[in-house]
Amino acid sequence: MRLSRQLIPYLFLAPALLLLIVFNLVPTIATLVESTFILSLRSGERVFAGFANYNRIFNDPVFWKSLQVTIVFSLLVNPIQIFLALCLSILINQKLPGIGIFRSIYLLPIAVSLNVTAIVWGLMLDQNSGMINGILTQWGIARQPFLHSVDQALWSIIVIASWIGVPLWSLFILAGLQNIPPPVLEAAKIDGANAWQSFTRITLPLLRRVLAFVLVADTVANFLMFAPILLLTNGGPQLSTNLIMYETYRRGFLYGDLGASSAMLSVMLVIVFIIIGIELYVLRGQD
Amino acid sequence: MSQLATDNASTRDKVQVKKNVKPLRSYLKPTLAYILLILGVIIVLVPLMWAAAASFTPNHKVFEYAYPFSWRALFPVDFTLEAYDNLLERGFGRAVGNSFFLAIATVVIGGAANALAGFAFGRFEFRGKQFLFLSVIMLTFMVPVDLTAIPRYILVNSFGWINTWQGLLVPGLANSLVIFLFRQFFAEIPQELIDAARVDGASWLRVLVSIILPISKPVLVAAGLLMFISQWNSFFWPLLIAPRQEMRVVQVEISLAIGQYGTVWNELLAGSMIAAIVPILLVMPFQRYYVQAITGTGLE
Repeated sequence: MRLSRQLIPYLFLAPALLLLIVFNLVPTIATLVESTFILSLRSGERVFAGFANYNRIFNDPVFWKSLQVTIVFSLLVNPIQIFLALCLSILINQKLPGIGIFRSIYLLPIAVSLNVTAIVWGLMLDQNSGMINGILTQWGIARQPFLHSVDQALWSIIVIASWIGVPLWSLFILAGLQNIPPPVLEAAKIDGANAWQSFTRITLPLLRRVLAFVLVADTVANFLMFAPILLLTNGGPQLSTNLIMYETYRRGFLYGDLGASSAMLSVMLVIVFIIIGIELYVLRGQD
Repeated sequence: MSQLATDNASTRDKVQVKKNVKPLRSYLKPTLAYILLILGVIIVLVPLMWAAAASFTPNHKVFEYAYPFSWRALFPVDFTLEAYDNLLERGFGRAVGNSFFLAIATVVIGGAANALAGFAFGRFEFRGKQFLFLSVIMLTFMVPVDLTAIPRYILVNSFGWINTWQGLLVPGLANSLVIFLFRQFFAEIPQELIDAARVDGASWLRVLVSIILPISKPVLVAAGLLMFISQWNSFFWPLLIAPRQEMRVVQVEISLAIGQYGTVWNELLAGSMIAAIVPILLVMPFQRYYVQAITGTGLE
């Protein structure tokens, strides 16, 4: 009886924890292990290969190019999304008549999948007869190639990702804004702070934890951007949108080279761990 | 504070001026806010309205009002159900059924497993609690599932689960974010409620079913929505694990449609609208719960 009472917590935990260990934790470790094997999807043979996979990808210009594209993409999309999300959260935090309707409308992109977003925006950005070009020509601006141009394709992906990303992350920042006790802001007002001063000296510092979380979560999410590339550009034109997650898929599942794919995923895993490490460090410093 | 006081002193003269301008400013601020809010609404709604309108339009007219642009592009002026009829004939209904089945199974089975784990972390003291929470829940929460998809694929392949329902369903059942939500909620239930039932000799499972569940509606709705929508919208895993046509889910079906019948735009958009409307209809009545569910972890 006594023993069974001690066992109860573990019985409650067992189903979910076993599933998480088998399907999430083990594969995390296995990614690193798998990267030292060469495996053929067709024959199913696994051969230990040491660092051969890493050697191959590190000597592969396509890998470096996709890493470069991913870094450029990250440096653009994350600041843009977080800045716009901050603006949007301040906007929907205003106490205005009808603000609830606006908040509901801004929830729509969050419920829609990235696939649907990519398909709809892909057609809107169509170089021949898309609506965006329809609007541009009406304003007297020439038609743009968007997804078919080396210079504009990555920006098009940024727009598509931000249509979901900005409202999504603004929800987190909005929750942070609503956690700020109103007396704090009122006190600043009484002390003569103008709106900009109370924003930079009170609101922003109090939002630091939330913003740090959003920065990391957004960075990780965008680091894994995949569906719009698969659906719209296949990495092109000229590898200009060949983000790393798509490159791992192309190598592993289109070319059947799971070894190289695992090595790339290991590199990504290490990068994600570094990002998370920075997050934990920054958040610890706040307490 | 002292800095604000200095600012106060230095701007004292300006305060007088500000007072005169105030009526104008007090109109200006909301007006500007509404202009920006409406601009945002246009960016959100125009793609959805065009896609919805175009899905009810004959295929050769899909781009008619988009280029050159006219407001008619946002409304189904040449209304037809042709795209939806063709889509159903192609067997799209099956993909919708598959997605519903998977999402509901995830909510029921995964929900039960996650709730039990959340309860254990929220209410019980046991050896290894901290360690298990940090090493399993936190770690699996932080490492995105798509990043470890290849070893998961190899593992599931070794079970012989490629192109099976269990291959699609089982790896996504446990969800550390959902466990986290349940833990937060259960930890805040007053101890007296539980004690009273335990004194009466009720088993833990009974306490859970007859005392905890009835008062847990907020977390059940939030967790249910989160699990349903993330399963409904999931794409990468079903794409890898179930290439067979009878098992395709909605997200995979529409992604393949782009290649297979890439110029049948109205069908592509009709499929997309079916994929979009289900989560939208679920989120709208339960907005508060859904927002709580997705932002729940960011603030802890």
